[in-house]
Amino acid sequence: MEKKYKLSHYLYKYRVKYILGILTLFAVDIINTYIPQFTGEVTDGLTARTLDMSGVYHLIIKILLCGLAIALCRFLWRYFIFGSARAIEYDMRNDLFAHLETLSMNYYNKNKTGDLMAHFTSDLNAIRMSVGMAVISSFDSIFMTIMILIKMFFNISISLTLLASVPLIIIAFASIWYGKNIKIRFEKKQEAFSNLTDVANEDISGVRVIKAFVRERSRLKEFAKYNQDNMDKTMDVVKLQAVAIPLLDIITGLSSLITLVYGGSLAIMGKISLGQFIAFNQYIGMLVWPMLAIGESITTFSQGKASLNRVYSIFSAKSEIIDNGTYDKPVMGDIELNHLSFKYEDKTVTALNDITLKVNNGESLAIVGKTGCGKTTLVNLLLRMYNVDNGMIKIDGIDINDYKLKHLRESFAYVLQDNFLFSDTITNNIGFGSSHPTMDMITSAAKNALIHDNIMDFKDGYETLVGERGVTISGGQKQRSAIARALLKDAPILILDDSLSAVDTDTEEKILNNLSQIRKGKTSIIIAHRISTIMNADKILVLDDGNMAEYGTFDELVKKGGIFATMYEKQQLEKQIDSDESNEGEVK
Amino acid sequence: MDTLDLNKDNIDNINKTHVFRRLIRYIKPCLHLFIVSLVLVLMITGFDLARPVLLGDAIDEYILHDTDTSSDNINNQSISTNSLADNSRQKDLAGIRKTSVIYLILLILTFICNCLQTLLLQYTGQKVIYNIRQEVFEHTQALSLRFYDINPVGKITTRVTNDVEALSEMFSGILVKLFKNFIKIIGLATVMLSINVKLALLAFIVLPFVVIITIIFKKISRATYRVTRSKIAMLNAYLSEHISGMKVIQIFAKEVSKYDEFEKKSLELYNANYREMMVFAVFRPIIYFISIIALVTVIGTGSHAFLNGTITIGTLYIFIQYISSFFDPIQELAEQFGTLQSSIASAEKIFTLLDEKPQIVNPSNPIPVKEGINKIEFKHVWFAYDNENYILRDVSFTINPGEKVAFVGATGAGKSSILNLIGRYYDIQKGEILIDGINIKDIDKDALRKRIGQVQQDVFIFSGDIKSNISLNNPDISYEDVVNAAKYVNADHFISKLPGGYDEPVTERGQTLSQGERQLLSFARTLAYNPSILVMDEATANIDTETEILIEEALKKLMSGRTTIMVAHRLSTIQHADKIMVMHKGKIRESGTHQELLAAGGLYKKLYELQQK
Repeated sequence: MEKKYKLSHYLYKYRVKYILGILTLFAVDIINTYIPQFTGEVTDGLTARTLDMSGVYHLIIKILLCGLAIALCRFLWRYFIFGSARAIEYDMRNDLFAHLETLSMNYYNKNKTGDLMAHFTSDLNAIRMSVGMAVISSFDSIFMTIMILIKMFFNISISLTLLASVPLIIIAFASIWYGKNIKIRFEKKQEAFSNLTDVANEDISGVRVIKAFVRERSRLKEFAKYNQDNMDKTMDVVKLQAVAIPLLDIITGLSSLITLVYGGSLAIMGKISLGQFIAFNQYIGMLVWPMLAIGESITTFSQGKASLNRVYSIFSAKSEIIDNGTYDKPVMGDIELNHLSFKYEDKTVTALNDITLKVNNGESLAIVGKTGCGKTTLVNLLLRMYNVDNGMIKIDGIDINDYKLKHLRESFAYVLQDNFLFSDTITNNIGFGSSHPTMDMITSAAKNALIHDNIMDFKDGYETLVGERGVTISGGQKQRSAIARALLKDAPILILDDSLSAVDTDTEEKILNNLSQIRKGKTSIIIAHRISTIMNADKILVLDDGNMAEYGTFDELVKKGGIFATMYEKQQLEKQIDSDESNEGEVK
Repeated sequence: MDTLDLNKDNIDNINKTHVFRRLIRYIKPCLHLFIVSLVLVLMITGFDLARPVLLGDAIDEYILHDTDTSSDNINNQSISTNSLADNSRQKDLAGIRKTSVIYLILLILTFICNCLQTLLLQYTGQKVIYNIRQEVFEHTQALSLRFYDINPVGKITTRVTNDVEALSEMFSGILVKLFKNFIKIIGLATVMLSINVKLALLAFIVLPFVVIITIIFKKISRATYRVTRSKIAMLNAYLSEHISGMKVIQIFAKEVSKYDEFEKKSLELYNANYREMMVFAVFRPIIYFISIIALVTVIGTGSHAFLNGTITIGTLYIFIQYISSFFDPIQELAEQFGTLQSSIASAEKIFTLLDEKPQIVNPSNPIPVKEGINKIEFKHVWFAYDNENYILRDVSFTINPGEKVAFVGATGAGKSSILNLIGRYYDIQKGEILIDGINIKDIDKDALRKRIGQVQQDVFIFSGDIKSNISLNNPDISYEDVVNAAKYVNADHFISKLPGGYDEPVTERGQTLSQGERQLLSFARTLAYNPSILVMDEATANIDTETEILIEEALKKLMSGRTTIMVAHRLSTIQHADKIMVMHKGKIRESGTHQELLAAGGLYKKLYELQQK
């Protein structure tokens, strides 16, 4: 993991604010001890009849000034420390996203979106609590305890202070024990909750089976078990809290009791004044909060630590794709595959096996084959979404590993199989791949992809929002928008990955015609199931289980009578049935 | 009736107080525990209040008892004390000890009550949560498939898990804390008033300011809170979209511009958080300062009263103590209302789900079905998933007992819909579906479905082991039944090869099993339930030849003696059918036996030729 992602680094960045925050915190604690002292002086002076009203007013003004200073400082430490904690959260959030952008597809295949998102939400939250709230509570409580103890020690009675602080020492130790145990129980509770989520998720996904076999009641009972377990584990946490927190109360109460017995007798014996006795009582009361806070901040710190480790695990993930190429000359579009083999990290079988071919600048290559035969893998490798060995893929005769990564990827216009569009306007979606597209360029790309008319039918035209919060557009419209996006990019190499499957044959033909005109002299790779899509390709590659089963021109392959020829005949027949159907009309 | 779409915000129309009242209703089964818990809270609050009183009294009675006579001693301790004072001091010390014992008893009582109260309340709260979760889960299971077609699994799961969890804060914390603080405020006010009305009223003078400031604060904080929530939602939506779309970002090499976009959204959230923090940073010190004003008011007037001889120093002491404890619950109240509001927001989401009625309604007086002959009839059936785009248009056919009927046709022709309709997973818009002459709408849903064995195309495997996936944990299906069923459909073959045999654990979605194995497993599952009607959506997957033969055999066995309706892809399965129905665009275009249809030379013949290739 890089040094800049260490928490200490973030803390260092805001060191001035933290120091100021802690100083104002100390100021609050110091001033805070004067208030009981002044009220003690009031009661003392009154009982001793040495204080008149003007003396009282004098002390009241002192108390008010203290109060004002405390209020101001309390605002300031919140501003300094909570502000810094928020800023650290903000920095970490941005760094996390920037780091995620560098990670390769291998990482995303292994990690679920939901899980990655949890790092941004709950984990960053826990870290923020640690560097904000918990820092304050721990500094505050330690300092306040010391301050109050000093006051009690020097101003009131050494023996009384020592005696009254015995229970408090117990608290300090108990809270460490408590922190450890509550963490274990808390983790068990989290686990039970995550099991519950899994069961609910599974039963909701499998609802069709459950209904078909009328197993609703049995699954409900099964769910009840997990529900019960979640409740039990929650109760385990609660049971500890139910004893620990009142215990804290009783221990601080013991301090008050000692004060009453011993301090009271000291007061009666005249060893301390009444005012001192009252002030001492107030001090003891003031010690309760720091003791509680120590326990709480220990819990917060341990949760923060766990979250920090989770966030660190993202930061320490490295992309296996290292961008250390330097080549950045304009790409012409010659593609050369040289005994290309590839295996996914976590799989045992190879996804691609010994593929050798050459596509010259301006030619088009079609790739066909069954689902899962390696078509998409192949084009992903061209863009270096995964790493291949040196020499396996060359573009313009240069190994792709020697290209500057950004330059390599910018040389492709890739229309993905799943046509991912962002929840944004159509303009921005089509213009996504280009730096400063003009509206004319966008419309012309849309026209060439035959989506322009559809866009104009929307109420807001090109400004229509698509995706989750916008209009839902059909699969075919999505595909064509994605094609427009790729066309606008006008890169040396175009890749269409099954990108015309959701449009009818008529539209397909028109788009293909447009493509052949716009892309004249440029390289194209087309993956398709429909033969009609690829009929005009210069070369056709048939993949079968990652192997180069057949390779050649359309005519060659049809003549060969292999996989491709069978596919072709089947589709021809289907087409015939379809056309017969439309001629036949209603049935007998 | 429209099916609830969880993606849409349908919360605005719900009344907040109504939601709260409905939530409270869940306490009912545990009401006795809840009441005991409240009583304990009352006692604890009483004890808490009594402690300073006890100390104040002790000061007045024992320590101050003879201040006048011993005042010299305080100032000048070297002077020896006389025996009379010594004697009274002994009495005072005894009094202190007596007070201490009472104080100790109070402490222990508070401790016990606190432990009990927390446990009881948490138990009540968790029990309520448990019940709500159970109800929500049961309800989702009862909802019709249409609901599951529209709503993503993740959203539904969140309702059952996280949204319910968000209520736990309310039941096991906030409600009682609100009560406790309310009681504390009332209690403190009463005690203060009973000790000294004038001083108490003076201490209360600042209260209107506290209320006004709290109201203003609430307004501002609610507004900032709302902004923050929406910024969080925006950022999360952005994240979820861009993490799943990371590939597009990378292939278009748009990392930098997307980062800038993210940073902008992130900054918006930061600013919202910052504003929220500032609101609190200003509010808390202001309230603190008001409490200081109250304190000096009490000190000032109290001192004046003491000098005039109208109150004792003990009373003044108690008031000074109370002032600080008086302001804590007030401040807490304001914050607890905030938490209550977010709990109510979660409750709203849950209730909208609970209010969604299952669309498939069980008949109120179902016609009891005996083991019939299993004749299936479709009479002029019209069906659309969304009431608009008809998938089936006026479909009529009869399947005689024991017959095997295969439906063939292109994707989207309506074959699978027919299978779904027989088990009444969806209701049809027009026409009738009859089994043994009884409309399926008049048959008990469970009884109907129990008669029908469904073999789905996509075999769903539950996490567990092999045997639980065959029996689906039905106690009526013994281990032997499981093995027999597996043997009968050729599944035993691969199961016995697994290291754990029938106890071999399978992970979620059965990733460790091949498609063919999953298929065989689902046959065993269906057979174990011994249905009289078989409804089957044949899988199209590419399966190795060896398994393919096993599957074909198994199918034959499974179908024998059962009325079977299937969507078939395999030629072998089709050829063995008694009748073949060719579907096209929601209608039955041809029907007959394999030979008849071939001879007719229509659609089927062409499809058949296609398959032959």
